[in-house]
Amino acid sequence: MTEEDPSPNPETPVDPLVTHPASPFLQTEAPAPVNYASPPSPPPTPAIYSTWVLYRTQIEFGLSLLAYLMVLVGSVVVVQANPEADWRYFVVVLPVAPAAFVIWLFVRALARLDELEKRIQMQAFGFSLGTTALLTFGYGFLEGAGLPHLNWTYILPLMAILWGLGTAIFKWRYR
Amino acid sequence: MAVSVKNRLRVLRAELEWSQADLAERLGVSRQTVNAIETGKYDPSLPLAFSLARTFKRRIEEIFEAETSRA
Repeated sequence: MTEEDPSPNPETPVDPLVTHPASPFLQTEAPAPVNYASPPSPPPTPAIYSTWVLYRTQIEFGLSLLAYLMVLVGSVVVVQANPEADWRYFVVVLPVAPAAFVIWLFVRALARLDELEKRIQMQAFGFSLGTTALLTFGYGFLEGAGLPHLNWTYILPLMAILWGLGTAIFKWRYR
Repeated sequence: MAVSVKNRLRVLRAELEWSQADLAERLGVSRQTVNAIETGKYDPSLPLAFSLARTFKRRIEEIFEAETSRA
């Protein structure tokens, strides 16, 4: 008597519910999962366009400074070539136009700052103005004691440097 | 009597999983401003506080709390 394994191969699936001839059920395929994809993303913004959006103020500032320098050099050359002409006064003041545009851009950039940035700039301007006054008065006293006289045009670069320094200091204080 | 203002900005921001930059973009301010408000180094103006309340869909009192101390 051979020993017969009563249980079928455990590997084969037992499914009498659908495999039996009299079964009313039908084996159907499981529905394929539907991919609910994200809506198509907009095409990537061209790099040149995003540069213009991000750095528009800086680009405008740089271009108008360039325009100022070009007009300045041009007017100097023209006036040096025609030192006796009647219209030389008009040519000499031409660089004021691009310079005024630079100032307009600067004021517009200030107006666009948020409230904390405006406060930082106000403190930096105050620091720059006060420190410039202190340094120029101090040097004025030293001139009285015999140090050489310095040109007035040094004051604006000094103020600009101190303004940058003040911006860095007050930005750091709100970090 | 000095009034110092505390806020729950960092907690509310973390609940929504927003970065400081995300919140700054929604408010139209710089990321540094959001950071300075969170750390209590800068108290926002009323319009900015109302924008914050609207962004988080809460009342201002649920975000900012005044602490009075004798000074």
